[in-house]
Amino acid sequence: MFNQRRNLRESADEDLMVLVRDGDARAFEVLFDRHAGPAFSLAYRMCGSRSRAEDVIQEAFLSLWRAGARYDPSRGSVRGWILSAVHNRAVDSFRRQAARPAGSLEEAGVIDRLASAELTEVEVERRADAERLRQALSELPDEQRKVVELSYFGGFTHQQISDMLSLPAGTVKGRMRLALTKLRLSLDEAGVIP
Amino acid sequence: MSGMHDCGGDAAAYALGALEPREADAFREHLRECAVCRDEVQALGAVVHALPMTPRQYEVPRGLRRKVLSQVREERRAPRRRSRLGLASPLRGVLAASVAAAAAVAVVLAGVGLSAGAPATVVRARTAGITGSAQLRVVRGHAELVVRHLTPPGRGRVYEVWLQSGTAAPVSASVLFTVDASGNADVGIPGGIRHVSAVLVTPEPLGGTAKPTHAPVIIAHLA
Repeated sequence: MFNQRRNLRESADEDLMVLVRDGDARAFEVLFDRHAGPAFSLAYRMCGSRSRAEDVIQEAFLSLWRAGARYDPSRGSVRGWILSAVHNRAVDSFRRQAARPAGSLEEAGVIDRLASAELTEVEVERRADAERLRQALSELPDEQRKVVELSYFGGFTHQQISDMLSLPAGTVKGRMRLALTKLRLSLDEAGVIP
Repeated sequence: MSGMHDCGGDAAAYALGALEPREADAFREHLRECAVCRDEVQALGAVVHALPMTPRQYEVPRGLRRKVLSQVREERRAPRRRSRLGLASPLRGVLAASVAAAAAVAVVLAGVGLSAGAPATVVRARTAGITGSAQLRVVRGHAELVVRHLTPPGRGRVYEVWLQSGTAAPVSASVLFTVDASGNADVGIPGGIRHVSAVLVTPEPLGGTAKPTHAPVIIAHLA
């Protein structure tokens, strides 16, 4: 039993997904432990509330358990698939409720409100890449960073952002394009994106 | 990405998921024909795929891990749940899921164990502070808790099942349940109960707890 557990802990995500597809709860547990941290952090960032983030994570991981067969390795990593599911569920929940938590769009606001939460950094090996990306994001002009954050983390459409910021829709789209293009160049230079 | 070809400048908004649904559909159609936009979406999409890692990282709350994993274990034991009960949508709350899981486990037990002709031992349980009745039906070392006309656990609460061996502290059976409009529920208890001396039920906050926070309202002594 111990060896089985150790083997699972050492297995690749894709191999674990095969087991999850067959209903292996222990393989699911390993995947949960491996990816729930970043998934929860993303949900936290988007929802701005611990309880809403927990709901999103619960839904996303149970969906993974129930629909593991839909994972297609040729379309990306397991982590990417999970984070994408979390993102989609958070956006869905915003749209269902037609309201976002007011402070969910500014990282500083979230951190202030969660001052007592556990702030332990996890997944040390990914910290450097994440830090480079954070740095690149922070170096964007405010107006460009804002449209990226509003759309990706806030789940707003370009039209909603346009209304919110009293800007023409074309301007919002243009800023999105400039922002992503600059981020792409920064990450290419840093070797974060091959 | 080279050349910044412009087809309405939708590639970035599309990669960010920020187009209106109709625009996104139209852009998807456009992508079938436009290699330049496809390249741009691919290049910018790689950035978008990396964005989820930018938030500050937090540890997963322990209670959340326990909730998700116990739900998975319940579903593992009751694989026919979704088809039998038609629960197509994802979990909308531990409470609803627990009701369904409890009912489904009962379905499995009835189909496999009890109706197979194996003799069932019925243990009458005592209730305390609530109305209704409860009994434990034991077949081949596996138990099912059957409650009738039971007081609901109350708003924001759920019943949690505990197993006690001798004088040791009760441990959670990882089973949460509530009752239907008539106060009824049939709840399968996972695993064997050969070394269990008592099955207890306490009302707990949604999601359950690691230790009982309330005196038992159902007590079934097995020894």
